[in-house]
Amino acid sequence: MKIPYYPGCSLKTTARNLEVSALASASTLGIEMVEIPRWNCCGTVFSLTSDDLMHHVAPVRNLVRVQEMNRQGIVDNEYRLLTLCSMCFNTMKGSALRVADNPDDLDKINNFMDREEDYEGNVEVVHLMEILREMGFDKIGEAVTNPLGDLKIAPYYGCMLLRPKEIGIDDPEDPTIGADLFRALGAEIVDNPYKKVCCGAYHTVADKNLVIDLAYSILSQADKAGAEAITTSCPLCAFNLDARQKEIAEKYPEFKTMPVFYFTQLMALAFGLGEDKCMFEGNYVDPRPLLRAKALLKEGS
Amino acid sequence: MNEEKSIMDIIADANKAVTTGIDSADIEHWVNIYIMGRGYKVPAGLTIMQAMEYAGYKFITAAGCRAGFCGACATVYRKEGSYQLKTAMACQTRVEDGMYLVQIPFAPAQEAFYDISKESYNAAMLLKHYPEVARCVACNTCTKACPQDLEVMDYIQAALRGDFEAVAELSFDCIMCGLCAIRCPAEITQFNVAQLARRMYGRYGMKEPEHITKRLAEMEKGNYDDDFKKLLAADIEELKKRYADRKREAD
Amino acid sequence: MAEMKFIGGYPEYMRELIEVVNKTRPQRKDYTPAAMTAEERKEVLAVHPDYAEGGKRAISIGQNKGDMGPNEVIDLLEAYPLIEPADIDLDKVDYSVDLLIIGGGLAGTAAAIWANNEGIAAEKILLVNKLRHGDSNSIMAEGGTQAADRENDSPAIHWLDAMGGGHFTNKPDVLKGLVEDAPYIMHWLKESGAMIDQDEAGDYVERWGGGTCRKRMHACADYTGLEELRVIRDEFRTRKIPVLEHNPVIELFTDGNRVTGALLWNLETHEYKIVKAKATILATGGFGRLHIRGFPTTNHYGATYDGPVIAYRAGAKLKDTDTVQYHPTGAAYPQQIIGLLLTEKLRSMGAQPVNVKGEAFVFPLEPRDVEASSFIRECYVHDKGVVTPTGMRGIWLDTPMIDVKNGEGTTAKAFPGMVRMFKRFDLDIVADPVLVFPTLHYQNGGVETDPWGKTDLDGLWVAGEVSGGVHGKNRLMGNSTLDCLVFGRRSGMSAAKYLKSGAQSGNLSLTHVDRYVTMLKEAEIAPERKAPILLPEYRGKAVLARMIDV
Repeated sequence: MKIPYYPGCSLKTTARNLEVSALASASTLGIEMVEIPRWNCCGTVFSLTSDDLMHHVAPVRNLVRVQEMNRQGIVDNEYRLLTLCSMCFNTMKGSALRVADNPDDLDKINNFMDREEDYEGNVEVVHLMEILREMGFDKIGEAVTNPLGDLKIAPYYGCMLLRPKEIGIDDPEDPTIGADLFRALGAEIVDNPYKKVCCGAYHTVADKNLVIDLAYSILSQADKAGAEAITTSCPLCAFNLDARQKEIAEKYPEFKTMPVFYFTQLMALAFGLGEDKCMFEGNYVDPRPLLRAKALLKEGS
Repeated sequence: MNEEKSIMDIIADANKAVTTGIDSADIEHWVNIYIMGRGYKVPAGLTIMQAMEYAGYKFITAAGCRAGFCGACATVYRKEGSYQLKTAMACQTRVEDGMYLVQIPFAPAQEAFYDISKESYNAAMLLKHYPEVARCVACNTCTKACPQDLEVMDYIQAALRGDFEAVAELSFDCIMCGLCAIRCPAEITQFNVAQLARRMYGRYGMKEPEHITKRLAEMEKGNYDDDFKKLLAADIEELKKRYADRKREAD
Repeated sequence: MAEMKFIGGYPEYMRELIEVVNKTRPQRKDYTPAAMTAEERKEVLAVHPDYAEGGKRAISIGQNKGDMGPNEVIDLLEAYPLIEPADIDLDKVDYSVDLLIIGGGLAGTAAAIWANNEGIAAEKILLVNKLRHGDSNSIMAEGGTQAADRENDSPAIHWLDAMGGGHFTNKPDVLKGLVEDAPYIMHWLKESGAMIDQDEAGDYVERWGGGTCRKRMHACADYTGLEELRVIRDEFRTRKIPVLEHNPVIELFTDGNRVTGALLWNLETHEYKIVKAKATILATGGFGRLHIRGFPTTNHYGATYDGPVIAYRAGAKLKDTDTVQYHPTGAAYPQQIIGLLLTEKLRSMGAQPVNVKGEAFVFPLEPRDVEASSFIRECYVHDKGVVTPTGMRGIWLDTPMIDVKNGEGTTAKAFPGMVRMFKRFDLDIVADPVLVFPTLHYQNGGVETDPWGKTDLDGLWVAGEVSGGVHGKNRLMGNSTLDCLVFGRRSGMSAAKYLKSGAQSGNLSLTHVDRYVTMLKEAEIAPERKAPILLPEYRGKAVLARMIDV
C-alpha cells in the first residue's frame, strides 16, 4: 500500500521517535507512507481571526496536496491522507468534514486560496491505527518477532482520537483499538479507567499546575491498575504525561515514574526493528531499564 | 585611427536611450500607466522604472542597483479590471497598459538582535527570536507577494518546525524587499526570519572546509613569507617572465 | 518600425541566427580557441574604449595634474562644488563621532564591524549612505570571491595572477595584503553564516576566473554579492551601529592635512548636516553611471564617482585614473536590461562567445580588457556581430553549452538569478544563447592607499572600488568583493588603532574647497559644471524640455 502521509511539525522535532518508529513499522507491514510535499502546519495552532473559517485554510491546503499527488501520479488513486499525531488527525479530519458538509465554506476557502487548485472534497483523513485495524490485527501479529510477553500496557487514548464522535476512530465511551493492537504485539493489557481523560493539552503552557494534576491522575490510576507503561499517539499528550513527570514527582512525593510509549515504538520493538528505529532515547522517562528487565531489550544495549 | 573613433561613436549612439534618457521622437508604441493615480503616456516596452523616469520622475528613493538584486524598487500595482494586487521590482518588470503603480522603498519591519556566535542550533531558536512565526495561518499571501517567486509561506512553515536547511534553500534568492512582510496578516517579517535561518544554517548546518583551516594554519606559520619576499624583490621583467611561465591547472 | 513577430522572446530574424549557433554547438563542444599571446593581446587592445583615441585628457589642476583620465571623469574633477563654503554654519555640529564611514556596500559595512571588533563602541560609529544601506555594486556581484585556499594554490600564485592581469601596475604591497587576507575572509564569511557553495564532502566549490591559473573562485550560486552583503549587513545591524540613509556626503571637512568629518546633504529634505569625526573611511564605490564613452553599465544607480571628487578637493592623491574596466559580457538584448552583468562564471562553466556565423572566435577566459576588445573587434572590425532591433551590435554567449558540458539542470542550479532575470523578459538562457556586448563595469583606479587603506591625508582611509592601487590598471574577476572585504576590514582595524592611540577631534573647515575653486578659476575652467553629481539623469527629454524651477 502506498499512501500519502502527513507528518506534522512535532514529528519533525520533539516527536521524532513517533515518526521513525512508525515509518519503520509501517514499512515492515508493507505500507509505504509517502510524505506529502510542501505540507504546512495541520492548522491546530492557527487562531488569528474571530470567525473560524480561516482556521481551515491550512488543513485544506494539505488536502489539496493529496489531490496533486494523485494527479502527478506520485500515488495511484489513493485519496486517504495518513496521519500519526492525534492532534493533526483530529484537526485535519475536522476540516475535511466541515468543508464536505458546508459547500459554501469550501467555496470561500477555495476562493481565498486563489492560486491553489480547488479542493474537491474527496480526501479522507485517516490515522495509522485505522489502517492497522483494516489490515487485521491478526496480520499485524504475524509480523511480530519479539513478542512483548508479560509487558503490562495501559493504552491511553486521550481526546483527539475519540472525540467528537464523527471524527473519532473508535467508540468514544469504550475504545478498544489500542488494546487490540498491543494484544496482537503480545503484550498484556491493563485497563486504565482514566484512558479517555484529557491530559490538559495546551494548558501546559499557561497553567502547568492543571496539567501536572491531570497527568498525575492518569499515570497513578494506570499504576494502581497494575500497568508498567502507558501508550499514546499524540506528541502533546506525550509531553504532558512523559516530560511533566519531573514536576509531578516534585509535587507528589510518592509518585512513581512510568514510561510513556508511542504506540509505534512498541510496534517497532515487537517487530524486532532495532533500537535506532525505536528511539527510546527520545523518551523523557527512559523505558529501557524496564524493557531489559523483561528481556525485551538485550542487556547492555 | 579615425575608424576606431567612429566605432566608439556608433556604440555611444546605439546606447543613448539607456545612458541619457529617452527622446520621444522615434517611439511608435505607447501604453497608459498611472503613477500614484495620475495617468501618463509612456513608450511601450520599458521597465516600470524607465517608464517612470520617462514620465519625469527622478528617483531619490525606490531605486538602487537597477538590476534586480537590492530590493529598493519594490512596487505594488493593480491592472485595470482586475481585483488582484500584484507586486514587482520596478527595474525588472515591463510596463503594461493600465497599470496603477506605487513604490514601497521601505518596509517597517521587526528585526531581532542576536549574537550568531552564541546561538544554539536548535529548532526553537527561530521562534524565540521571532515568536510571531507561530501566528502564520498559511494564507499564502506572502508567497503571492514575492517578486522573486519564492515559496515564502513554505519557508515560514519550515521555520515553524525549525528546519533551517529548508528555510535557507527556499529563501536563498530573497532580495529582502519586504513586500511579504507588508502583506502578511499575521505581521511576520518573513525576510528577517529567513536571514537569521540562513546565517544559522551557513554557520552551523554547513560544513567547515578543512582546506581553509589548513591554509590559515600555514599562513600563521609564515609558510609563504619567502615566496612574497622573492616576488616583492623581483623587477618587472622577472615578474613578466614568471607570469608567462605559470602552469594552468587542468580543467 | 513595423510590428515584429517574436518567437521565444526573440524577433524572427534573431531566432534564425540562433539556429546557426545551435547548429555549430556539437562541433564547438570539444573546441576552445587558444589563449592569445602577448603580441596578439596588444593588437586587439587597440579597439578597447580605454585605448581608442578621443576618450581621455589630462587633469589640469591639483596634486595629480597631468595624469590622464576619461573625459567624463576629468569633467567631474574639474567641476565646481555644490555649495558656497561661506553658506555653511560650521559651529552647529549635528553628529560628533569617532569614526565616520561613508558608503554602505561590502567595504563600508565590513569596516564598521571590524572597527567595532577592535573596540570602537557601536554608538561612536556612524555609517552614512547615499541610497539605502546595501544598495551598492557589492550586492550585484554575481561571480564570486577569489581566495587561494586549495592545496595546489597559494597566495603567491594569486598575487602573480592579479599582477599580470593588472599589467604589472598594481601596488605590490597593497596586493600582498589582498591575497594574504583572502583565506581568512572566507573563514570570516563562513563564521558569519554565509552560504558558500560546497561539494558533498564540504569543500568549497572553486571555479575558474578570467586570467587566473588556478581555480579559486568561491561563489554563492550567482548571488555571491547579495549573500555576502546580506550576511555582514545583518551582523552590522544586530550590533546596532547607527546608519543614516539617503544622506550623501557632498564635501569632506579638513584641518590642514587632516580630514575631520564630512558635510551631508539629505536627498529628500535638502537640509545639510555636519558630521565631526576623528577618523573617516571613504567607501563610496565606483563610477559606472558616468557612462564613459557612452557605454551602458552594470553599476548601481548611485555609482557617480562622488568619493574621488571630494577626496581630491581635500588633497588626496589619485592613482590609475586612466583605466576603466569594461566587462566583456553585458546584456545587449532585450533593451530593458542593456548593460546588466552576465557573470564571468557563465564562461568559466562553459558558455562560449560565438559570432554571427556560429564560430567560437576567442579563448573565453582572457583578462577582461582583452576579452572585451575581442568582442568589439568581432562586431565592428570583422563585422561578425549580431545587430539588435535597437541598432546595437553584440555577440552570442552560448549559454546552452553549460548544460551540454556539465549535465542538464546545471544552469538552473548555478545561475538562478540569471535565469530569473531573462525569464522576466520571456527569454530562456538554458535553451537559447544570449546576446552580449562589453559594458562599463569597474573603476580600476581611485584614491591611492597603503596596505591598510590609509591615504596620504591624516584621518582618511579608503576601501573598495573607490581606492586605487591594488588592481593596477585592470582588476580580475573575484578580486572586487575580496577587495571590499579585505580593505574594509583592514581600514576598520587601522582606524580603530588610530583612534585608540588617542586621536582627538580636529577643527572643521572648508578652506580646501575655497582653495580648489581658486585653482579652477586660475585654470580658466568655466563654472558650468558642478560635482559631485550624486545621481545620473535619465528623465525623458520631452519632460526635461518643459521643466521650470519655481
